[in-house]
Amino acid sequence: MTKLRYLTKEGFRSLRVNKLMTVASITVLFSCLLLVGVAFMLLVNIESFIGNIEQENVIMVYAKTDISAYDYFRMGAQISAIDYVEQAEAVEKGPAYEKILSEMDDTMRGYLESLNENPLPDAYRVTVSDMTHFNEVADKVKTLENVLRVHENSSLARQLSAVRNAVQYISLGIIALLLIVSLFIISNTIKITMFSRRLEISIMKSVGATNSFIRWPFMVEGMIIGIIAGILATGAVWGLYELVMSRFSYVFNTFGEIQLVDFITYAPYLAAIFILVGLFTGLFGSSTSIRKYLKERKFVEIDD
Amino acid sequence: MIQFKNVTKRYDKNTVALNDVNIDIDKGEFVFVVGSSGAGKSTFLKLMMREEVPSSGTIVIDGVNLNKIKKRNIPKLRRKLGVVFQDFRLIPTMTVFDNVAFAMRVIGTKEKKIRRRVPYLLSLMGLSEKSRNYPRELSGGEQQRVALARALANDAEIIIADEPTGNVDPQMSYEIVDLLMRLNEAGTTVIMVTHEHSLVRCFDKRVVILDRGSVVSDGELNTLEQATSHINPASEIASDYSKGAEDYSVYSRAPESADNMAEEVTEVVFEGGFDTPAEEGSEIVDISSGAQDGGENVD
Repeated sequence: MTKLRYLTKEGFRSLRVNKLMTVASITVLFSCLLLVGVAFMLLVNIESFIGNIEQENVIMVYAKTDISAYDYFRMGAQISAIDYVEQAEAVEKGPAYEKILSEMDDTMRGYLESLNENPLPDAYRVTVSDMTHFNEVADKVKTLENVLRVHENSSLARQLSAVRNAVQYISLGIIALLLIVSLFIISNTIKITMFSRRLEISIMKSVGATNSFIRWPFMVEGMIIGIIAGILATGAVWGLYELVMSRFSYVFNTFGEIQLVDFITYAPYLAAIFILVGLFTGLFGSSTSIRKYLKERKFVEIDD
Repeated sequence: MIQFKNVTKRYDKNTVALNDVNIDIDKGEFVFVVGSSGAGKSTFLKLMMREEVPSSGTIVIDGVNLNKIKKRNIPKLRRKLGVVFQDFRLIPTMTVFDNVAFAMRVIGTKEKKIRRRVPYLLSLMGLSEKSRNYPRELSGGEQQRVALARALANDAEIIIADEPTGNVDPQMSYEIVDLLMRLNEAGTTVIMVTHEHSLVRCFDKRVVILDRGSVVSDGELNTLEQATSHINPASEIASDYSKGAEDYSVYSRAPESADNMAEEVTEVVFEGGFDTPAEEGSEIVDISSGAQDGGENVD
């Protein structure tokens, strides 16, 4: 316990004493995480935006006009039972007709009212949970009993699905690339730190410190640097995001009803990911960088 | 205590650092290892520290065969050795106290023991007043004494001094060797590597001369010139001894005074070793009193 306390204390002391390298390491890690965070929030928002558009892309299923209320209800149940159907919302002909009439001008309304008959059939508004299965759902709906007509826009669904996949792959690729670059930069920063501390390491070795004893303070240091950088990066992404939301909301409104996602919803995930990435980067970066200083030579007899 | 049996060390095909070296050093001996640059002195020390492994031959330290030692036991071996380097290797961001304590902390010594032992060691080295100073505030001689205190921190059985006088003036050089002599009188085996032949001449101890990786002479100083006179370039080394004696002639009285001092203090300080109740209870006598007098602001 005393040892652990000493080693942890030593890790903190090193951070203080080697201020410049500490600040450099935190800055590098922070910058990388910030970029990752920005890419992540961009991905989340594009996903949400596409999701909203998808919600608008529905299959309208019109029922035959002569079916009973029971058949209409049964049809709804059958639609809901199809895979990838998120919701089958009943659109009854009465309220639908009222709505259409209210949106028409007086001449058109007068003309329709003179018919004394509601020309609309009962219908279901079907939303699909996964757009890649849009056509499959539409085809299955068409085979149902009592279906008069199915109205769907499969080309839009296909495009949205393709855009969504592309955005996902590109964003994940960028995030992965940034993480790899981060690891590379961080491991180099840690190597420089180790190089500047090789005197300490050589003294430790010469007085008989075990490798784990030498390694631990450096690992504690790496972990602390990672955690600090993770917390700072979460805060910075949050600040930046709020700034963009408040200053540029009119830009998003110009393009229609673009609603940015709430940062708080993703903050715990982002913070957890950042702190974990920081922690493990610091931990493994330190332990791998120090390895070469701790290597002991093996005796191998060389024949003449 | 230390045995080199037919030890050869090659770094590559063309670089033979040590060639078929045989050296036996007994417990409690004081040995100078002398040689010019490239003679193989550093390799000799690295092999002892198990920083390098021999290409062939066997090295045994305190009954442990270094060729067969397990990796996990290497730190234990190094704890038996106290090393002093030419460039002191003190950590600039730590105080004198912490530099000495560092050697104890990194092997897991309890803080209570550190608080007792470090002041004791610093007082032995005449550095009690400097315990809160940083290395940059000390003279070269003082820094080397801090390094020596650090080497002693973990009760090393063997002190390995790698050119400890390389960065200090001639007077301080003599005093540092004198300190090592006193440690030796207390029972510690001391191996001092140096290229300063003239300094070696001031002390009547065993001298191993290395030249181009081979031992060209091994014996007491008074037999040295005879032993090496027929070997070239070892004969040059031998003649250096004659010349070098003049450099240190000003300290010709020193060994005598050192002996007197040793008689006075060894009983008090070294009796029972460094880690006995005598540390706390008895009055500490500064064995470096001579060193301190001459060591102030020499650099």
